[in-house]
Order: sequence, then structure tokens, then C-alpha cells
Amino acid sequence: MGFVRFLLSRILIYILVIWVGITTIFFIPRLMPSDPVEAMLGRVMSQGAFMEPEQVQALRQSLIASFGLEGTLGQQYVGFLKRVLLTGDFGPSLAMFPTPVMDLIRKAIPWSLFLLLSSAIIAWVIGNVIGLLSGYYRHKVYSRILEAIAVTIYPIPYYILALILIILFVYIKPIFPLSFSVQGKFPSLQFIVSTVYNSILPALSIVIAGSGWWVLSMKALSSSISEEDFVRFAKLKGVGEGKIMGQYVLRNAILPQITMLALVLGGVFNGALITEILFAYPGLGTLIYTAVLQADYNLLMGTISLSIIAVATATFLVDLLYPFFDPRIRYR
Amino acid sequence: MILPFFAPYDPRVWNVMPRNLPPSREHLLGTTNLGQDTFWLLTWATRGSLIVGLTVAFFATAIGVMAGLTAGFSGGFTDRILTLFMDTFVVIPSLPILILMASLLQGRASLLLISGILVIFNWPWPARQTRAMALSMREREFVNTAWFSGESTFQIITKEIFPYITGWAMANFVNTVLVGIATESGLAVIGLSSLEEATLGTMIYWALQHQALLREQWWWIGPPVVTIVMLFIALFLTSTGLSERSAAGRGYQYAHT
Amino acid sequence: MRARCQPVTLAFLVIAGLLLGACAQLVQAPAPSLPTAEATPVVEGRLTEVGTPRHETLILDHLDGRVDNPTQFNPYMSGTRFNQGYHQLALSNMWEMNTVTGQQFPAMAAEMPEPLNEDYTKFRIKLRQGMYWSDGVEITSDDFAYTVDMILNTPEFGYSGFLKQVVKSYKVIDRYTIELETLRPEPRLGYTLGVTVWGDAFRLVPKHVFEKAENPATFNFYPPVSSGPYVLKDVDPNGYWFLWEKRQDWQRTDAGMIAGEPKPKYILVRFYGPEEKRVIAGIQHDLDIFTDITPESWDILRQKNPYAKAWYDHFPWANLDDPCERGIAFVIPNSPYEKKEVRWALALATDIQKVSLATFAGMLRVSPLATPPIHILQETYHKPLRPWLIDFAFEDGYKPFDPDFAVKMAKTLRDQGIEGIPTDEQEIIDLFGVGWWKYDPEKAAQLLESVGFKRGADGKWLLPDGTPWRMTINAPANFEVQSQRLAYAVADVWRQFGIDVNVQAMEAGTFWSSWSNGTFDAGSYWPGCGVAPDIYDNMVSAWHKKYIVPIGQPAPGNAVRYESDTLSAILDELSFLTSDDPKTVELMREFMKAWVAELPWLPMFGTSKFVPVDTYYWTNFPDANNYYEGPWWWWSLFKYMVPKFEPTGRR
Repeated sequence: MGFVRFLLSRILIYILVIWVGITTIFFIPRLMPSDPVEAMLGRVMSQGAFMEPEQVQALRQSLIASFGLEGTLGQQYVGFLKRVLLTGDFGPSLAMFPTPVMDLIRKAIPWSLFLLLSSAIIAWVIGNVIGLLSGYYRHKVYSRILEAIAVTIYPIPYYILALILIILFVYIKPIFPLSFSVQGKFPSLQFIVSTVYNSILPALSIVIAGSGWWVLSMKALSSSISEEDFVRFAKLKGVGEGKIMGQYVLRNAILPQITMLALVLGGVFNGALITEILFAYPGLGTLIYTAVLQADYNLLMGTISLSIIAVATATFLVDLLYPFFDPRIRYR
Repeated sequence: MILPFFAPYDPRVWNVMPRNLPPSREHLLGTTNLGQDTFWLLTWATRGSLIVGLTVAFFATAIGVMAGLTAGFSGGFTDRILTLFMDTFVVIPSLPILILMASLLQGRASLLLISGILVIFNWPWPARQTRAMALSMREREFVNTAWFSGESTFQIITKEIFPYITGWAMANFVNTVLVGIATESGLAVIGLSSLEEATLGTMIYWALQHQALLREQWWWIGPPVVTIVMLFIALFLTSTGLSERSAAGRGYQYAHT
Repeated sequence: MRARCQPVTLAFLVIAGLLLGACAQLVQAPAPSLPTAEATPVVEGRLTEVGTPRHETLILDHLDGRVDNPTQFNPYMSGTRFNQGYHQLALSNMWEMNTVTGQQFPAMAAEMPEPLNEDYTKFRIKLRQGMYWSDGVEITSDDFAYTVDMILNTPEFGYSGFLKQVVKSYKVIDRYTIELETLRPEPRLGYTLGVTVWGDAFRLVPKHVFEKAENPATFNFYPPVSSGPYVLKDVDPNGYWFLWEKRQDWQRTDAGMIAGEPKPKYILVRFYGPEEKRVIAGIQHDLDIFTDITPESWDILRQKNPYAKAWYDHFPWANLDDPCERGIAFVIPNSPYEKKEVRWALALATDIQKVSLATFAGMLRVSPLATPPIHILQETYHKPLRPWLIDFAFEDGYKPFDPDFAVKMAKTLRDQGIEGIPTDEQEIIDLFGVGWWKYDPEKAAQLLESVGFKRGADGKWLLPDGTPWRMTINAPANFEVQSQRLAYAVADVWRQFGIDVNVQAMEAGTFWSSWSNGTFDAGSYWPGCGVAPDIYDNMVSAWHKKYIVPIGQPAPGNAVRYESDTLSAILDELSFLTSDDPKTVELMREFMKAWVAELPWLPMFGTSKFVPVDTYYWTNFPDANNYYEGPWWWWSLFKYMVPKFEPTGRR
């Protein structure tokens, strides 16, 4: 059975991808000249606490021991794999010692999922609708205007775009809160309202920055499909405009867009690093950034491994489902 | 690209000019808080960014298309291994790794090094796309026809597939130029590129560092942003033009997702 | 063709519209509410975002950023944070530092440690009477004993290793008295277990709380029981803010007894995000004390918020008394920096005025010595040594010191139209420093040529072996703005002198690893710190040869790996003197002279801290005219400053 063979080999690749990815992420930070113990000592030093050298040495030893950084790289790697595979435990965060990495991640995930999933999907829908319209009616003036706006906004560096939004809506017209601050405890109405209120501006920035790409790609797809013979034929046959756009053009153009969306959604676990830093939003992006800055190996491996697994799963699913979308491809 | 050679001095050097002048005849776009002439700085920055963008785009597209075609047409074990590599690089989130790598670079010649690292993260996308196209094309009529008329795989790839893919590859190339420029400026904006080199990103970085936005020093922050936008528009039109031409020839066009 | 042009034109319009729109809006930014608005008194005042009355709340800027583990308060876990108000408000130390006088004073202790023997190994420590934990239990010597035992018996605590090197044994004499025996002479025990800068890791914990914990190593200590005048009221589960409330029994703390009643009922420590957002918060009166901003941001704040104040009311605005000075360090054993001539050449090739302007627009005080040019130390070392510096000469008779730096700098800035520069020479020197090394590229070139350097055809310097001289300067990437900018400014100047210099911005982890491992060429590091006139602690760790380890291994001290018998001998002599011994300062001056002759590090400027305040709701913050304490609110001494703050009555 072709499908079973395909499935098995695809699963094997899936597992291999995750393993190679996690191994890379284990070794890269350790090849860096940075070291969490020295980072911690440096922080102590720069805060001016004086210690005799023997005391510094003693502090260093106890930090190394408590961080679990003893032994050779190989031993650490084996220990790491064992721990992660057997218990799903990434150990304690080094910068927030001894808070477990999984606790930090568990706290951050809902925020990232909420903000990024919703805004990524909104951006996708808006972008594709605009793209479809401007691609199908590509000779109309408004289509040109929409395209021009998309072409202009898309390349503006995200950081600048978000900063301009902040200045406009927080400083000049203070509609939104300056910084993320949620009131109330989880299931209460107050909590939900303030969460949404706090998330509008970051979400808006992602939607604006994100939909540009969908507009451009959808426009390219739909305008070229509109030129295809079967569309012309349908037109000649007198099929309604709406039906042509929905049935013929959209159905053919949407496939690659869905593929891409899956990847983007998988990447949600990666967090929108710059968004979260700029808006002081408590998601995974902030966590990854902290991890990098503090050379927090465990936190870094926890967050990035999670991201790797998420994206790998997304691509895996896309590969499995692709033939259903595009019958021209067979499993092999 | 040519303008930098006319610069009366190296605009990267600080404190050559009086600081914070608004635009005037001597200083077309004013001067920065660091005593640089914004106009000449911009010319250098544009060149720097283009070097990064073009290098990244060229190598990423070339490697990507080759790998994708090889994987798509040879299938079997080669395909598996190549797919494994592509997928691994696709799933590793690039920004944190780039931040880590940036701290490893010893600063020197880093525009090229940064380009090199960006290539690592940008080839898998065209590779995956090309592979998918190759898979789909294998089933197409004209390939089958060529197959049955006894052409070798190599001939098929070069004669039948390559022209077909060129339009797409050009579009991808152009898009990757932009990705290269954008990623470099993204890194620069959070302070992780080679900050002494003049690129559009580092220009924005220094402007933000000195609060040009809140200080309404628009002649410092504005030009690099506008330049990025204009570069993109130019590249975008080129890419649309290219794909329209290839679409006219083939009657079908793949979008560069 | 025509059809294709259309989007371009449109795109242009859109860009122009966007940018102009943003700019036009910026110009019209609303003026901050002016005093006239008070004519109509508001009955209900504003509320803060956490629901406390704004006029009863003091808001502080939490520069450390978000706290990912906001409910971890065990002070001995290595990942616990302190700058969110914890050690400023709720943790007292045994001995505190007054940064104006540079003297320690007893805080939780009733007096300074009393030595019981000639060798300084036995001490009597008395606790202040009448102090209570915020849960109503008295603070006694049992808490001291418990804290010491707990630390010694919990190797998971990083601090455990430290304390084991200090404490030999202790005896509880009575409810408030302990006798402590140390492992080695500790003439400066107050420095070892008390605050010198920022804070100190030795903090008493409540025995009655910790002894109930199963394992102190994993005990979170949340909510924390406080020994300071405030107690934790609420915390943002995401770690962006911490709300502290004044204790009803604030007078039952050492800070209450020493400094009196603090007026703010609440203190909110808040992280708003990047600098742009902090500035906006300041303009909107949502931030009373900033931590650290750039001169450019201060410019904006000053123009947009008439209530904003800095340390000075005029140039240079910033406080110049931060206890670490900045400069460029080299790994001395590395070629070519092992040669004294090379280090001196680099000093003379530095146009310090240009560097000062590029770094912080000239708002910096120079220092030629290994100790920061802060007020106290400037009086103790820089000024008394100035005549010696002026006379100091190389073997060939060349005198490298330029005593006129301050005067020239004042003139340059005055010519640029900057107001508020003093005209009196003494005041100018107080402001810009006693002087620095001459900018003399010719002499620098001569020094280099004397040790075999040559200029290449392109004017760039070649090392004695004929290869180009290349240098990489490490700089902090996104922290310590002054050091970061200093690196770029110095690189710029040295490049013009003909050295192939580049700057490498590094994240904290990498930056500090290179420092202690000695795996760098040059870097804008700051080994020169000090607050009190007795800077032995700082100097011994920075320059004694006993701490030198091979490059590649983390150094316990002396990270530049400079080996000098002369310096080490002076330091050894100093180690047996107490802080108040008059010989201490005298010997330390000798140390400075010997140090300058060798110049193992290139100190440049004291650190300028922009710690602006908003006087809209609160006033009487310390400043240059009201110098009761330094502006370092993130230090543990903050709890002794708060009682000075007065409400303005605005709501």
C-alpha cells in the first residue's frame, strides 16, 4: 500500500526532523562564548557586590552544580535527552532559578496562542479577501489602490510600524493602555474585557503587518488563475461573476495559502518576538528573548524545542493533506 | 549603488558635520545626532542593504532551486535526506538562532557573514516550493512526453523544467532580496547586526537609539524607511513583470508563496 | 507600461501620507496639563492602573524589565529578583551605606561590628531593638542564627559558598547580641556582610516562616514577610508590576526608626517596555522616578513635561556620581597590549573631547585614575593628585597630562550655545573633571614607532611583525548605553588615527564571559568602581596579581590579567588596615601613582546617570541642590530616602 509506506516514511522524517532540530538547539548555544554562570556572576559584579576571589570561585562552583552544567558536553547531552524524553522536563530556568522552565512556558502559551492565533487568522482572512478582490477585478481603480497600499505597508520594518501605532494611539490619542496590564483573575468578565482591550493594539499591528503579504500573494494567484482557460470558458458560458470568483478562482488559489497558513500557525509557538518586546506582552516571544539575553540554556531549549515540534507537526500535517488538495500529486 | 563613490568623505565617520541640522542646501537631508550627513549616509546604507539582499537572494534561490529540483525528480533516498534538511531548517525558528549567531560573529566583515547566515535560513523555502512544483510537474503531460521520447533526466530538467521554473525563481529571488534586507534591518533594529556598517537597518537603529521618532527628527528616521519601501516597490514591480512575462509564455504561473 | 506606473504613484502618495501624517500629529502632541488646570479642584483624584489613588502612589520605573517568576521571593535562590521594590522596600541589611559621605551606618544592626581581638577575627554584633517582621513577630538574634545556619547548610544557595569562606562560628549571647568568629582577618566586616554599593546579599530571613518550609532551597517565600517599611500588597501574575503598601507599624523597622515615616501609602514598581514607552509614561505623569534614560530621551521629557526634573537644573542634567567609571580595557598579556608604550599611545591618540561629545553630548566627567570621579573620591584622590599628574613625565621628559580639558570642554559647549555651563574654573573642574591625557597623535605615533610599529602605505598602523594592527572592541549590546556608545566613539577616533578597529556589540552573557575568560582584544568594561574613600576592596579584586589565571579560564578577579609586584605589594600592606586608618588613603594614593605610570587600563569617564523625576505628584527628590542621597532608587538605601518625599497635593 503506497499510502501506508508513505505515511511510515513521513513519520520517520517527522521524528528525525525534530531530533535534528533539538540536537542543533542543544549544541548551538553551548558553542557560543556565553555562559549562564558567568552571566550570573557578571550581574552580581556589575551590581557592585564585592567578593574575595575564593568566594567568587565558590559561588561559581555552586552555580555550576545547581545549574546541572557539570560534566562534558556529551554527558550533558545524554542527560538532557533522557530528561526530556522520559519526563518532558526541561529542568529549571537558569535566569529564574529554580523556577522550572515548563512552568514559565505553560504560563506564556495561552497569551501567545490568544494573540497570535487570532491576529494571524484575521490577517489571513482580510488579506485573502482583499487579494482575491483586487486580483479578480485587477483592472479596476480600487484594486490598484488596495494593491498600492499593501505594497507600501508590507515592507515597512515592523518595529517602526508598531512604534508609529503606539505613538498614534497611546500618546497622541490615548485610546489604548501604554503597557500591558490585565485586571482581575482568569475567568472573570473583568479579566476577559481587559485582556481584549490590552491586546487590540498589538493585534492590530500584526494584522496590518501580516495581511500585506496575503494580499500580494493572493492577488498574484487569483489574477493568474483568472487568466486561465477554464475561467474564460466559464465566463463565456455566462456563469455569474460571484460564482466564478468563489468557485473557480478562490478554490484554486486558496490551496497554497492554506499551506502557508499552517506554517504560520505552527510558528505561533515561536512567538512574535518583536511584538511582544515592544508591547510588553507576556508571551513566548518575550520568554525566548529573555532566554537569549541571559544565556538561559534550559529556557532556550524549552521554548525553541516546543516551537520546533509545533512547526514540524504543522508541516507534517500539510504534507499528509496536500494530495487531498492537489490531486496531481501522488504519495510516493 | 553608484552614488556612494561621489560622497565627499566616509559618511560612517561620526562628528564630521555639525549635529542635528535640519535639511538644507549643504545637507540635503540634514545631519544626524552623531554628526553624519544623512543624505550620503543613506547612499551608503542603501548600498550596504542591497549587498546583503542580493547576496542572500542569489545564494538562497540558487541553492534552494537546485536542492528542490534534485529532491523532486530523483525521489527515493536522496529526496528523503534533502527533505529532512529542508524541514529541519524550516522548523528551527530563525530569529532566536540569528540572535545567538550574531553574538558569535566577531564583528569583522560581518555584512557578508550575516548574509551567509541568512542564506542558511532562506534556502529551504524555495527548496520546498521547487520540490512541490517538481513533484507536480513530473505528472504533467509535457514532462511525460519528453520522458517517453527518451530524454535523460538531466536533459528534462535543463530543457523542459528549468525554463518553466525560471519565472518563479526570479520572483522568489526578488522576494528574497527583500527578505534579506528586511531580516538584516530587523536584526539591526534590535541592535544585533554589525552596527558600524552602514545599512538601512543600522541607520534606523541609531535613529531609534537617539529617539529620532519622538524628537520629530523625521529627516533621520524617514529616509531609510522610505528607501526600504521604495526598494520593495521597485523589486515588486520587477517581479510582477517577470512573472507576467513567463506566465504569458507558459499560460500558467505559480505564485511565490 | 502606464498601468504599471499607477501603483507606484499611489504608493508614493501613501508613504508620504503616512509619514507626514505621523509627523504632523507629533507636532500637535497635546501639551501636558498645566498648573491652571488645578483652579477647579477635583474631589476624586485619578486612580492608577492598579486602582490605588494616584496622589497616594509613588510610581517607579522597573528597568530590569519583566519578572518572569513574580512570586519568587526567597532571597537566596539565585534567580530571585530584587529591583522590583523587594530590597528597596521590604528587605533590610545589617549595615547600610550613605552615598553622600561614603560612610556605612548601622541599619538592622544597632552599631558597627565591634572587633573583639587584634586580628580582626572575632566580633560582637548587636541588633537594633524593637524591630518586627511585618507579620508581628519580633526580629531577634535567633533570626540571625537561623539565617546563617540555613545558608551554610543549603549548598544549593550560591551564597552558601561565599559565607562558608567567611564564618567560622557564632554564639548567640542574648536576644539581640551575637558573637561571630571569622575564618580570616576581616577588618572590613561591615563591607563583607553589609552594603557597599546597590545592596548586599546577606539578608536576615524570618526563622518562624522558613523553619516551617520543607526545604529552604525550594521555598518560594511568597507572600514575603517584610523587614522594611513596606509590604507586598499585590503582584501582576505576568510580572510587569509590583504594588507595595506602607506597613501600619512602619516605625517598628530600622528604616522607620532611622528615617521616619514614608509618605506614599503605595509604591508601584512598573515596567512599561522600551524607552519610547517609558518616556511617554513620563509625559503622561504615569511615572515618578525613572531609572536610566538616554540624554535624547531626557531632552524630549524636559520639553514635554514641565514638571520633569533631572539631577541638575541645567547642563549636564545627569548625575555624574555613579560608582563605576567607564573606559577601554585590554587583556594585558595579549600582544601588543603588553607594552606600556602601546597603551600610552592609545591614550594620547584619543581625542577625549570628541569621544565625550559622541558618547553623551559632553555630559561626562573625565577621570585619569583607576577610581571613579565621583564627588567623594574626586576630593580624596583626583584633586589631591592633580599637581602630581601635571608634573608626571615619561622617561624622556614628556608630560602627558592635560589639566585644561575641563576649561576647553566648557568653551566648546558654550560655543555650541549650551546654557548653564559654569564660568568659575573650580566649578568647571568639579563638573568636567581634573583633566585627562593630551590629544597628541604625533607623540602617540612616536611611542608606537619606538616599539617597532610602522605605518603602512595606506597610513594604517602595522604591528612590529609587519601585519596590520586590528582591534575588536567589545561593547554591551542592549544594556549600559554609556559603555556601548563609548565603544563606538572610541573606535571612531582610533580609526582616524590609523588603527583598524571594529566594535562588537554583545549580549550580557557573552559580554561577561569574554571579560572573565580574558578572551577579548579590547572592551568597554568597567573595573574601576568605588563609593567610600576606602576603595581597597575594589582595587584588590581588580589589580592584585594573586587573582591572575590563564586566559581561557574564568578569572576570580584581575580580569585584564595585569601582573605587577609594586601594585600587589601596596595592596597587601593595605589589607591589614581598617577603613578609618589615615594611612589607608595615603597608601591608596601611592597605589594610584604607581598605577598611572603603567596605565593597565584606560579609564575615561565617570558614569552619567539620567534618573529624572516627575514632580507633579511628589516632590523633594534628591538633586544637586538637595543632595541628601544619590539618585539610585534601585539600591537598598531607597527605604531611607522615601520618607523625604513629599506629596504636592495634586490629584
